[in-house]
Amino acid sequence: MTTKTHRSPVSEFRLLTIPLVVFLLVFLGFPAIVNLVYSVSEVSFETLRRPEITGFGNFAAVWSDAAFWRASWFSFRFGLLTAVLECALGLFLAIFLAPLLERRSWLMAILMLPLMVAPALVGLMYRLVLHEFAGPVPYYLWAWFGASLSFLGPGSAFWTLIVVETLQWTPFAFLLFYMAYQAIPREIIEASSMDGARYHHRLWYIELPLMTPTIVVALLIRFIDGFRVFDNVYVLTGSGPGGSTASLSIYIYEAFFKQGAIGKAVAASVILFAASFAVLYGLNAIAARRKGATR
Amino acid sequence: MTFARMKKGGLIAAAIASLLAAPAFAKVTVLGWPGGPEEAALRAAADTYNAKSDVSDDNKVELLFFNRDGFWDKLQADLAAGSTAFDVNLLATYSIGRYAPFMEPVTLSDEAKSVYGDQVLTTMQYEGEQFGVPTDLSLHFMYYRKDLIEALLKDDAAKARFAEISEKHLGKKLEPKTPDEWTWDDYAATALYFTQAVNPDSPTRYGTVLQLKNLLFNMMVFQSLPRAYGANWMDDAGKITVDSEAYRKGLETYKMLYDAGASPRDSLSYEYAEANAAYASGQVAAMVQWNAAASELMSKDKSPAVGEVTEAIAPPAGPEGRFTHIHGLGFGLNKNAANKEGAKAFISWLSSKEAALVYARNSGAPALTPDVVTEVAAERPDLVKLGEFAGKYGYVMNGGTSAKALSVYELQAKEFTGYWSGQQSLDDALKNTEKGMSDLLK
Repeated sequence: MTTKTHRSPVSEFRLLTIPLVVFLLVFLGFPAIVNLVYSVSEVSFETLRRPEITGFGNFAAVWSDAAFWRASWFSFRFGLLTAVLECALGLFLAIFLAPLLERRSWLMAILMLPLMVAPALVGLMYRLVLHEFAGPVPYYLWAWFGASLSFLGPGSAFWTLIVVETLQWTPFAFLLFYMAYQAIPREIIEASSMDGARYHHRLWYIELPLMTPTIVVALLIRFIDGFRVFDNVYVLTGSGPGGSTASLSIYIYEAFFKQGAIGKAVAASVILFAASFAVLYGLNAIAARRKGATR
Repeated sequence: MTFARMKKGGLIAAAIASLLAAPAFAKVTVLGWPGGPEEAALRAAADTYNAKSDVSDDNKVELLFFNRDGFWDKLQADLAAGSTAFDVNLLATYSIGRYAPFMEPVTLSDEAKSVYGDQVLTTMQYEGEQFGVPTDLSLHFMYYRKDLIEALLKDDAAKARFAEISEKHLGKKLEPKTPDEWTWDDYAATALYFTQAVNPDSPTRYGTVLQLKNLLFNMMVFQSLPRAYGANWMDDAGKITVDSEAYRKGLETYKMLYDAGASPRDSLSYEYAEANAAYASGQVAAMVQWNAAASELMSKDKSPAVGEVTEAIAPPAGPEGRFTHIHGLGFGLNKNAANKEGAKAFISWLSSKEAALVYARNSGAPALTPDVVTEVAAERPDLVKLGEFAGKYGYVMNGGTSAKALSVYELQAKEFTGYWSGQQSLDDALKNTEKGMSDLLK
């Protein structure tokens, strides 16, 4: 006679989640704990295995470091501007090119090409393209106007970086918006046309409201990506003269590897983590409240 | 399963494990600088060493290369982790102090002193101990267009214009001179004269090209200017001396040239490659650049616009003399080397005359003493100049091999470029640099 053991759904759930929990503990929990220890320690490459806990000096150093706030402001501005520009351009293209793409779908592959290039390579490419003596853009500016813009000078580097980032990532926003636009039920559009709605009315009162969730998600994703920018900025301008184009990622990287200030770099990343958590928690709370209000 | 089968299985498993654990044969693994002439030279040296009859199979050299990008950071992480993946590793003057805790001092061959000379051997020393063999030396040349300078020296009207420009921008009337006699003021005046924004009749768009990107290597190029006016990082008592008239002079000269348009407006994002491209275009009259650029800028095939009319000399002089910043790449011993004896033997051989000549004949850039360099002078005339300049004008700043030397260059890059780009005053730049260096070098 055999005995069959029955497990409750709860215990089965617990059993099945063990691998995931172990994975999270090992690959996220352990580094997080190590980082928390380093952030309150005097630590260098020689003392990685025996950091000396010294308190919150690293946090104080970061907090009082003008370069940290400058990098934060750079990342915020960069993230916000690129997210808005990419989404605006992506939205325009999605709506403007939709009729064409319905007939020539292969054009989509061409539009997606910038996404296929690694950001560091994009930085390298523009470093060449914008070079006064080797790049085609300054060459033609000299040939046609007898002068060339300083693309990576102190006054223009920020805007050049914005344009480079926008050119690369607009296709991502475009893809999301095009899919959302295509998902709008045709019956609604036809019904509004029959009711006499003109094109801009339809766009403003029907299509854009229906695409709003996608627009919000795209803005958020692009802001996060822009905020943590590293590769193409680092390749194009480094941290810029006087640190003027250092994003937070570059600030942390340079503190860690270039200055050997491991505790300070980790403290900065902990502050960044706490700030990101607070913002996301806040957004989640707002979304939950709005959801509750609409029920 | 019976006990006998278990025992048999266990024995097989143990045999497989021991076979896997035992290396095919011991060797000396050397981590080198990938790509470029250094790799070619190291490969030739390793082949020569491995072919020697007195090198046993256990001590043959195998080469290992990381990517250049982030090389020093990766090396730092590997050494700190106690890696045994390599026995001998690349080393640079400015990073010896950083890696010294994870390395061991080495004993060079008896010939090393006569092959390299004391000045060059110091580029691989830290706290009085030798940490490596200085296989490649880097210093700076002043590259200039001899056709333009010769034309200037022959033209009286041009000389008058030159004096006028120097008086306006430098506050004193200067006459054009041959580059070998240049002071830094002469260089600045020449750069201004050959700048179309200053002198619309200039045959070149820019008089010079400055590498002003916020990058530590650009600070090395810059140092020779203040050094010629007596600059040093710190005095013998360890006091930081960067807030000095010498650094002021150097920083102001660069800013004056940049603001006057004598260097491209994008110079604040320029490093080695961009500066070379600018000079090679034929639109620049002179520039201070690494010696490594000689093969590119002085070749009519690689730089058709300037290759045949470019000369290279030591950087200009100042009141304290003529200086060129030197730093070396070399090879030292990993403290956790798996084959330490084999590694020591290879390092000792690498510092011999035989190895230096093989290295030199295969694209390497060792700075050799006059007696030794004559043996390769026909094939490598550039090495004659390298050895001569290193011996005569080479210097390493006080603290230039310390554990935080790289961080000092990084700090200077950030603060000085902040001044050159107009984001902070000279006083603030020097004050911030001095404070930062005091923290780093305490």
